[in-house]
Amino acid sequence: MTDLDLVWKNLFRKPLRTILLTVSIFMAFLIFGILTSLNVALDRATESGSASNRLVVSNKINFTQSMPYAYINRVAAIPGVTAVTYQNWFGAYYQDQRASRFVGFAVDPETYMAIFRDEARLTDAERKAFLSERTGVIVGKSLADRYGWKVGQTIPISSNIYSQANGRRSWDMKISGIFTGAKPTDPTTAIYFHYDYMNETITFNRDQVGTITVVTASPDQNDQVAKAIDANFANSPAETSTVDEKTFSRAFLKQAGDLNFIVTMVVSAAFAAILMIVSTTLVSAMRERTKEIGVMKTLGFSSPRVLRMVLGEAVLLSSLGAVLGLGTSAFILTGLSKSPVGSSFGDLSMSPVVALSGLALAVSLGLVTGAVPALSALRMSIIEALNRG
Amino acid sequence: MSALIQLKNVKKTYKRGKESITIFDGLNLTIEQGDFVAIMGPSGSGKTTLLNLLGGTDRSDSGEINFDGERIDGYNEGQLAGWRARSVGFIFQFYNLMPVLNAAQNVELPLMLTKLSAGKRRANVETALKIVGLWDRAKHRPKELSGGQQQRVAIARAIVSDPKFLLCDEPTGDLDRNTANDILGTLQQLNQEMGKTIVMVTHDPEAARFAKRTLHLDKGVFAEVTQ
Amino acid sequence: MSLLNQTGSVIAMNVRSIPQRLWMSLATVGSIALVVAVLLGFLALANGFNQTLKGSGAPDVAIALRDGAASELNSVVSREQIDLLGQGPGVRAGPDGRPLISAELVLIVDGIKKSTDTKANMPLRGIGPNGLLVRPQAKITQGRMFTPGSNEIVVGAGLLREFSGFELGKTLRFGAQTWKVVGVFEAPGTVFESELWADAPVIQSLFKRGSTFQTARIGLTSPAAMPAFVAYVKKEQRLQLKAQSEQTYFADQAERSGLIIKYFGWPLGIIMAIGALAGALNTMYASVSSRAAEIATLRVIGFSGFSAFIGTMVEALVLSALGALVGVAICALGFNGLSASTLGAGFTQVAFRLQIGPDIITQAVTLALIIGLIGGIFPGLRASQQRPLLALAT
Repeated sequence: MTDLDLVWKNLFRKPLRTILLTVSIFMAFLIFGILTSLNVALDRATESGSASNRLVVSNKINFTQSMPYAYINRVAAIPGVTAVTYQNWFGAYYQDQRASRFVGFAVDPETYMAIFRDEARLTDAERKAFLSERTGVIVGKSLADRYGWKVGQTIPISSNIYSQANGRRSWDMKISGIFTGAKPTDPTTAIYFHYDYMNETITFNRDQVGTITVVTASPDQNDQVAKAIDANFANSPAETSTVDEKTFSRAFLKQAGDLNFIVTMVVSAAFAAILMIVSTTLVSAMRERTKEIGVMKTLGFSSPRVLRMVLGEAVLLSSLGAVLGLGTSAFILTGLSKSPVGSSFGDLSMSPVVALSGLALAVSLGLVTGAVPALSALRMSIIEALNRG
Repeated sequence: MSALIQLKNVKKTYKRGKESITIFDGLNLTIEQGDFVAIMGPSGSGKTTLLNLLGGTDRSDSGEINFDGERIDGYNEGQLAGWRARSVGFIFQFYNLMPVLNAAQNVELPLMLTKLSAGKRRANVETALKIVGLWDRAKHRPKELSGGQQQRVAIARAIVSDPKFLLCDEPTGDLDRNTANDILGTLQQLNQEMGKTIVMVTHDPEAARFAKRTLHLDKGVFAEVTQ
Repeated sequence: MSLLNQTGSVIAMNVRSIPQRLWMSLATVGSIALVVAVLLGFLALANGFNQTLKGSGAPDVAIALRDGAASELNSVVSREQIDLLGQGPGVRAGPDGRPLISAELVLIVDGIKKSTDTKANMPLRGIGPNGLLVRPQAKITQGRMFTPGSNEIVVGAGLLREFSGFELGKTLRFGAQTWKVVGVFEAPGTVFESELWADAPVIQSLFKRGSTFQTARIGLTSPAAMPAFVAYVKKEQRLQLKAQSEQTYFADQAERSGLIIKYFGWPLGIIMAIGALAGALNTMYASVSSRAAEIATLRVIGFSGFSAFIGTMVEALVLSALGALVGVAICALGFNGLSASTLGAGFTQVAFRLQIGPDIITQAVTLALIIGLIGGIFPGLRASQQRPLLALAT
């Protein structure tokens, strides 16, 4: 028999009580596991597809305001810029305007594929096809899977912004390729098609571009290039605002609300609740055992050793709940990743960082909840302990 | 025979509220190696305090306490714990077994304080339980055992690490006469056959008869009654 | 003694013994309070947002958008269409004697969200003199209304609360133009309070929108005139617009935002509730076991098992009711009226206040009482099965 055996046996002295406590802890870690992973996935979504040497140029008024087509060449001419491409938000949807909206951009295929070669991976044949087909579109793998799209198929893509001069609301597009992301965790729920195809057919906003992506010679030049671009268009009807890709997408995500803040609040509330439940229950459980602790000390178990055993019991309890909770949330997240709502976040599965911080949290929770009973066990005098009960 | 335990001029005072109560003021006691001493006395005579001092679970204010050549009165709490684990076997009135452990595990408890190998521990547990005649109940939990059986397990626990000294606090106080006599017989046997030095605090004159000698404690002073 | 008397005295004994398990009982109350607070927080968030949207729509104002446009941003309405709309049935006359139609356009400009210090989409709405007439809730409370034909802006109080960059007196630059914020308006509990307003013709010319608008708001003589007007717009081939009551338009948006509760608030509330339930069960089992001797004694005297059950049940319900009370209090004092903002259906920010109402309080309190009920049943059954004599021995 080791100290751990003894701790384990004490933990399950009243199995129902321990199971109930485990359930409480389990639920808190379930919340922690799922919410933190969602948060991480969202952060990762801003990171994926953003490179440190890429900038986004948009209209200073707001990124939904467009800029004249002529800006592309003027931006490309600025020192430090090695490549540019541009894209227009299309407000794309497939058949059902409410239920099947997705990210859709009109792009310049050649420069777009050169810069985003890694983010939208295609075979050489697909790439060639996309370049040569004016009505070609490349679609993300998740989307293709969701709607059962195949290469070569022609699909009607509608816009909630534009309509065609001939009165039609949808554009027939031929799937040139199905792209995958750089990492399996990257979301692939977008479509990209020819800017020219859109520009020639829309009724308004022709020869305008939404955003321009700029590649700089090196990330150290980002600030300097961004300033040069914005200075170039200062005092014009369409002034620009140039920031790095990550800043751009982060600001966009923050618009929905401060998810970080909500996650922190909810996780704190859940942990505050179990902290109260577990620590008070452990205090009362330890009070029942005062005499036994006195006996252990009499037999010659040192106070520090008794303290370690009591703390060990609390840590074991919280780790048990944590492992079950984190495991279950990992399982749920895997399932969620496969659902249509979840897949737009990319891979939701629990990252090692979340799992490890969860375990660290479990140990801290154990130490905190065990602290009061452990200290009272440490201080308890044998004579008082044996006289009680 | 040489002295196993020697108390010299021991003083002990308790504070109860603002009042301080002197239990011992210059107590002297010598217990020889291999002795079996019963200590009797009315409540408040200082029996429990003496027990705590002898067992190293309480400390004297002044005076010397020698055990087998060691001065234990100067020990700090940690040193006392180590000394108790090495040198003293405790037997309590209410057995004080761990309810979550079975008999064998309860007996093994003191061995967790030694560096013995698992195999050696098992062997010691088996020996101790066989001495008290309960090896067939090794897997039983305390609540599945009778009072007398529980006390036998407690005795096995007290002797498993082979201490020289057994300290018994009313070991038969909770038992009927026949069971009590069985337990006392076992203690006598441990004293006679294994040479354990035993100090037993008791209210029961019948129990005291099993000891080699009886000390009467009254208001902190001894009066010896030799059998 | 009657069953009623028995039960009454057992309940009193139970409740009086709560202080013996003070910390565990407090933990139960506290954890239930947190469950209630979290759930109520989400519900208040959704409720506040929904109420703001619903409060924005008037039943006697029709809104016309391009047929198929999901929001104002994606809609186009021409001058000619506006004139045709004015010929519809039931259109109220304005003070000038002409149909009361507010032709509007919205574009998005950047503001800075105070809470995150990041850029956010602000709606800049171009309105005419009728803009205020179709929104009787709106009143200028500081400064003055913009002067038609000038680069002047008035800003909603809700927007000012949540975003920076549009303070009264401030000069703004949009492209090559400068604008001045000359007034603040309040339209409490509506989305309009999260908007910037300027003169429609000025916006059309400075943002190169020609003479097009995006929406038309049409004042009708009464809510009863709505169906006829909607039918007229649907039938009139030259319009190609869709009209609906402003009330329906916003209620529809509110319904979609209800997903926040469905996908976030309730699952979280229920998961936390199960955690708190486990805590409550522990406390109640501890209560029953600490009173085992007492219950057994009462059974010996002749009390029924039922009274022991009810005693435990009531103790659990008292604890959960206290928890609910504390939870509601936390929300009422901490969250209620708190300002927040999120991206609305128009792709622009909507500022709103968290709002606690009787219906959502009822929902959260019900959850708390369910915790108390389940937390009391099983320990209560154990108490009722306590044998009269058995417990005395222990």
